[in-house]
Amino acid sequence: MGGKVSCTLGEVTNRADFIIFWGGNPAECHPRHFTKYSLTPKGRFVPDGRKGRTAVLVDIRETPSAKAADIFLQLRPSKDFEVLTTLRALIKDQRVDPAAVAETGLTLEQLQDLVDRMKKARFGAMFFGMGLSMTRGKHMNSGALLNLAAEMNAFTKFVCMPMRGHGNVTGADVVLRYTTGYPFGVNLSRGYPRYNPGEFSTVDLLVRGDNDAAFILGADPGATMPQPAIEHLASIPTIVLDPKVTHTSRLSRVHITTAVTGVSAPGTAYRMDEIPLPLAPALRSPYPTDEEVVRRIRRAVARRPAWQPVDENVRSAIA
Amino acid sequence: MSPTTLRVTGGRVYDPANGVDGAVRDIAIRDGKIVDSVDGGRTIDASGMVIFPGGVDVHSHVAGAALNFARGLTPENYRAARRFLHAPGRRQGLGGITPTTFATGYLYAGMGWTTVNEAAMPVLTARHTHEELHEVPIIDKSTLVLMANNEFVLDLLEAGETERARHVVAWLIWAAKAYGVKAVNPGGVNAWKWGRNARVLHEPVYGYETLTPATIIEGLAAIVDDLGLPHPVHLHCNNLGIPGNVETTIETMKILEGRRAHLAHLQFHAYGGDDWGTMRSAAVEVAEAFNANPNLTTDAGAVLFGDSVTLTADGPWQHLLYQLTGRKWANLDVENETGCGIVPYVYKDRSLVNAVQWATGLELMLLIDDPWRVHLTTDHPNGGCFWRYPEIIRLLMDAEFRKEQLRQIAPKARERIVLGDLDREYTLSDIAVVTAAGPARALGLTEKGHLGVGADADVTIYPGTPDGDGILFSYPRYVLKGGEVVVEEGDVRAVTEGKEFIVHPPSDEGTAEYLRPLFEKAYTMSFANYPVEIERVKGADVRPLH
Amino acid sequence: MSQTSNLTVVENATCTFCGCVCDDIELHADGERIVQAKMACSLGKSWFLNHTAERLYPDALIDGREATLDDAVEAAAEYLHAANMPLVYGLSNTTCEAQREAVALAESIGGVVDSHTSL
Repeated sequence: MGGKVSCTLGEVTNRADFIIFWGGNPAECHPRHFTKYSLTPKGRFVPDGRKGRTAVLVDIRETPSAKAADIFLQLRPSKDFEVLTTLRALIKDQRVDPAAVAETGLTLEQLQDLVDRMKKARFGAMFFGMGLSMTRGKHMNSGALLNLAAEMNAFTKFVCMPMRGHGNVTGADVVLRYTTGYPFGVNLSRGYPRYNPGEFSTVDLLVRGDNDAAFILGADPGATMPQPAIEHLASIPTIVLDPKVTHTSRLSRVHITTAVTGVSAPGTAYRMDEIPLPLAPALRSPYPTDEEVVRRIRRAVARRPAWQPVDENVRSAIA
Repeated sequence: MSPTTLRVTGGRVYDPANGVDGAVRDIAIRDGKIVDSVDGGRTIDASGMVIFPGGVDVHSHVAGAALNFARGLTPENYRAARRFLHAPGRRQGLGGITPTTFATGYLYAGMGWTTVNEAAMPVLTARHTHEELHEVPIIDKSTLVLMANNEFVLDLLEAGETERARHVVAWLIWAAKAYGVKAVNPGGVNAWKWGRNARVLHEPVYGYETLTPATIIEGLAAIVDDLGLPHPVHLHCNNLGIPGNVETTIETMKILEGRRAHLAHLQFHAYGGDDWGTMRSAAVEVAEAFNANPNLTTDAGAVLFGDSVTLTADGPWQHLLYQLTGRKWANLDVENETGCGIVPYVYKDRSLVNAVQWATGLELMLLIDDPWRVHLTTDHPNGGCFWRYPEIIRLLMDAEFRKEQLRQIAPKARERIVLGDLDREYTLSDIAVVTAAGPARALGLTEKGHLGVGADADVTIYPGTPDGDGILFSYPRYVLKGGEVVVEEGDVRAVTEGKEFIVHPPSDEGTAEYLRPLFEKAYTMSFANYPVEIERVKGADVRPLH
Repeated sequence: MSQTSNLTVVENATCTFCGCVCDDIELHADGERIVQAKMACSLGKSWFLNHTAERLYPDALIDGREATLDDAVEAAAEYLHAANMPLVYGLSNTTCEAQREAVALAESIGGVVDSHTSL
């Protein structure tokens, strides 16, 4: 169980005739998702573009994205997991309890209709947003949707992927995986990577007061994190790299102004489907890039006495 | 500063490319190359030790979108993985089934391998592959770009426009900054995009009128030859892993008659029987056909019992494996070009199927007459991890040990294999051929895989006697890469940067303008951003064509 | 990049505002500001048009006071080197090249490296 059955966005453009958006609002959060990738463009095997596709939106409220969908399914808040479990049963013709279904805000008829349409699709695609992955159930919800997509492949072609926000957060996942093996929350305090979400993730660390210094790059946690985490950041030496003086800069000991990614700083960014794209800056910044400043700090650290990891259970030798 | 001269004295040298078979010779090194003689500099006393050319891996998955997907899919595998601690000048890393970039370099070098060919790169995510390869230290690298399911290429082959297809392939190779051409399940990965496969070599691929897997294979083999690439078309045949696929494999060899080609991970393509219950080794038939086709090279794709992650562009096979195992499954179709599937897997000695697979890989290596044409691989991480190669070497060199191992496997499997009847034992010279000299020659890397004057000074020095587990090659005493001592007594001593081999085959000037409108219809990125900038390939070494 | 009259035009520029990372944007810049971002959506336009090459902020601040880049780099290194369990966090609105440097920094100071994904 588990995993991710996915594709690059162009596969959806070229092939998908049935698309489900779940807990996301691309019309406002990823405005070109519909027009450049998923819904309206003509594709090699979808020559009629929008007319050749059926779009379903599943959400707890009627967002502007509902207008773009053919079918809008409004479920009750925090019932995503129940609906997904029901769908996983229905695709396998297993019995479900109509009374339990009724509590989700949707009817069995609606869900059976959805399943029939999914099975009739030639190429189905599912996209999910933070309305699924950041609400009650969190990764259990996204896991259920990803499993549903995997299981649908016994009947027809199906793929599923998150609609990720925040610029190059996908790049951070990619880089951390190949340099440390893990996608985020990597603890290097013993000299090798350790991973345990919930223990080594930032909010948990800060709220527990585990960190005695912080280096913030490409984010403004001072504006977005829970108050206890912000208070801890303010109480320790915090260093911020940002093109602007941010909320976090104001509570930091050191702020360094840097060039803007993709506007005045060159490099690479990954799209939500993990395609790497080059950044061609249009402006020349008076400030150095993040890359240059981090490298300078790293070199300044390297001029100080070397820190040696101590872990008696670990041998550095290859053998 | 690294020493510019170095001498290795008193060791028994195995350099089959130059006809040296265990003679005691001194090796002189200057500025990263092997030379006749040197004055001064460091001397390594290798008396009582054996000296090999640095290993060359012809087929491995060490970097790029698919492998990195596998890393994310199986974080649990790192808990028991070998750890490399951060130290000044040496980055941290984790080994295991899908090692991190830095660990990949340390593990290969630590085993005595100095060159690795990454066997599957899409053009669309080639930037990612190169970005990772740059973070793989010490070893030299090359990449193969996936072509047998690229819709531009398939459309041209269907239309019979072979010349234009050649220009397009050449253009795509340079766009990806690749070294060679890979063909995975020709037509089958494309059909998988509709949930189908290409099982029959002479039937049209789903969605095409006349194009068949056979015409794709012929077409690509011809294009690679016409372009004069140093490495022939690198083919993952149709029907990988499926009982009875021996027929497909032998038919593929017929299609390739008269052409150069490399058949990847042959073990996965050498099964008889009709289903999982009747599956048997077909190594005898496959080896016989292979022996009769001197135009071909292959690699073993051997299986070792234990944990693995299977990882291939062969999407339909991975869906089948997911259905068989009920374990995790990742799939990543790449627009217009290829796909990939990932399923964690455990090879069990008590499983009939797995025991047959284990035996089949060894049988092929023992039944193929010419060691120059069969290379040691596990199709890492598919059949087992590359850092377990020494285990295979022991099995190849010791018939008694093999027979002992045979007693451990599922009893029913012993009737489906011939391994117990094979008494051949690899010599040290044979090992040097299958781990270094042969793969270097197949890759067309003339300065690799041997220790003659002018060769790169990639030298592995092993102790002369086996370790406590009876394994001779478990770890080298010294590994030299480009003349530098990078590993000594099992420890990484110098973290150097390797090269990346690429080719630049000529394409007609109008090729980009031909592709642009097609590209703009099929892709969701800008055409101008598609080719990898040469500046992004660190240590690029553009190799000559034939 | 091409120069027409006083405007620099960058074709096929890449927008990093959201995860769509559209790379078909045509940017027109007058040296200090981007004046036009063709093909960009409303979010992308405001992202591009709100940035400037002007020096609106000091190079660096230490304890809220203006400082040189050199001094700020040294101060950052001192704090991070002295810490037992430093945190390297964020990594979203930045390049992969900077992300790689950040991982290298995190291991050289024995810290934790984390991104927005953990939220």
